Amino acid sequence: MVSKDFTIKNKMGLHMRPAQVFVTEMNKFSSTVNIKFAGKDINGKGIMGIMAACIKCGAEITVECDGADEQAMLDAASALIENGFGEE
Amino acid sequence: MLKGIGASQGFGIGKAIIIEDVKLDYSAVKYSDAESEKARLSKAVEDFISETKHMADELKLTAGEKEAEILEGHITMLGDPFMLSQMNDSIDAGNVAEAAADSVFQMFYDMFASVEDELMRQRASDVKDIRDTLLRILLGLKSVDISAVPKGSILIAKDFTPSMTSQIKKENVSAIITEIGGVTSHSAILARAMGIPAALSVLNSTEIISDGDLLIVDGFKGEVITEPTGDQIKEYTLKQEAYLKEKESLNVYFNKPTITKSGLVKKVYGNIGKAEDAQNVVQNGGEGIGLFRTEFLFMDRDRAPTEQEQFEAYSTVAKTMDEKEVIIRTLDIGGDKNIPYLDIEKEENPFLGHRAIRYCLDNKELFKTQLRAILRAAVFGDIKIMIPLVTTVDEIKKAKALIKECADELENEGLSYKLVPVGVMIETPSAAIISDLLAKEAAFFSIGTNDLTGYTMAVDRGNAKVSALYDCFQPSVLRAIEMTIKNAKKEGIPVGMCGEAAANTELIPKLIEWGLDEFSVTPSSILQTRKTICENE
Repeated sequence: MVSKDFTIKNKMGLHMRPAQVFVTEMNKFSSTVNIKFAGKDINGKGIMGIMAACIKCGAEITVECDGADEQAMLDAASALIENGFGEE
Repeated sequence: MLKGIGASQGFGIGKAIIIEDVKLDYSAVKYSDAESEKARLSKAVEDFISETKHMADELKLTAGEKEAEILEGHITMLGDPFMLSQMNDSIDAGNVAEAAADSVFQMFYDMFASVEDELMRQRASDVKDIRDTLLRILLGLKSVDISAVPKGSILIAKDFTPSMTSQIKKENVSAIITEIGGVTSHSAILARAMGIPAALSVLNSTEIISDGDLLIVDGFKGEVITEPTGDQIKEYTLKQEAYLKEKESLNVYFNKPTITKSGLVKKVYGNIGKAEDAQNVVQNGGEGIGLFRTEFLFMDRDRAPTEQEQFEAYSTVAKTMDEKEVIIRTLDIGGDKNIPYLDIEKEENPFLGHRAIRYCLDNKELFKTQLRAILRAAVFGDIKIMIPLVTTVDEIKKAKALIKECADELENEGLSYKLVPVGVMIETPSAAIISDLLAKEAAFFSIGTNDLTGYTMAVDRGNAKVSALYDCFQPSVLRAIEMTIKNAKKEGIPVGMCGEAAANTELIPKLIEWGLDEFSVTPSSILQTRKTICENE
């Protein structure tokens, strides 16, 4: 398993659009992805759990990927989060 | 007459069509075996996706890309593998596909309905919409067909879901009425995008009104006239024609920058009293909010709003305005605006008494709660603070010190915030006269002409015997305005105006000549004001 810590930078946090972008990207990989936020574990391939967790700007999260393509998956997740999910 | 919320402008006359919800009763569905239940569920999900994709495409044409995104989001939400596996687990436990879907969606509905974030809370209605559509498909029921209603129909429903509104043919629908929902609901957003007048939250309208009733809907006031007279129908037909004509002539100014003939760039903003009104400013082409009157948040309740409640209201406005400037005026109470729970003493002369910034500086806890909420919300957009009724330099200094104190507290508590520029509302003769001194302390000025006129002329506009003196064209008022603008320019700070005078077509040329930067007006006057500015030198 590989993991990395992030601080959410985009202004609106993980609301519908960014969550949609993130989930679509994560489902391209076979590994599992778990988001640790505020003591909870959230399935990174499902949009409902991510949205309901209300991950806002400034939130600190840990992304854990586990499986055959875990490193590529973590890199993809990292690129999206660092980029603010392409939000302007 | 029935009263609701005016959520989309215009007047509609037509015959009522009540849209009944499809009954989603699955108590008669019998469980066969897990495999066939799962197969039914997965077929229903497939049908949901193709049906919804089709609706999203239609909606792109009738209402635009942004509205269609809501429906595309529904597809992603239903595609959540975690949710699907929970439904399958529930089927394995012996539940029919309908019951499995219903219980899993209910769980997510409760989850969204209870979160603190207002925008996220609205997702609960999406969850309900997805569930209803999925259950309807599973039960093999037809959706309510709104697309076939005849021309001149007024649609009435408990609420319009995105999947319902996407079928609306705007040329056939004169107006819509709902029993629930406010100006930020899907129904309201869609109605505005399609230019259909709407009155929302009209209580019990589906029971009071019957199919075929002739109705008039006033989408400005949110009123529904039942059993209109012939004269009323004539009157509102003319009103709607006039409204459409005016809208047509002003529409060219919607996306136009505000530039005078000689090339000076100006800004036209909107004034609001409630967080929901920000939507009206956007709908009318406003470039920002020049005055957010926060006292409305404190009215009609029995205790002051908490920091969290205020934070939500301010951040909703910042998000709605999407990086455009939002000027929040701190609590302006006292005078004519009394609030019972604040225990403001009865005064001989409330307009010259303990009000606005004077009251706030003496009630630091109340004031700091508001300031903290504003600083926290500022993370979400371009927020500025404006202090009302300033008469001395000391007041703005003290207010700024308190704002700094709040920022330090938030820093220590580890909460995210942004320190924002602090400006002065120039609405007393004193402030205008010392505007050169205030300009050294303030980040911007906004001239409040309503009170400035009253205080300068020493006149109560409500007193018919003297109200003729209440006139912003009186030389003394004009001089106060001119002096304020020039002193702002000398110090190099921006200066706006947020009173009714900012929309006055005769005054605008003078304001441009003196160098006013920003004109903040009632949302419905934004385009007319921009037109007037663009036609001046």
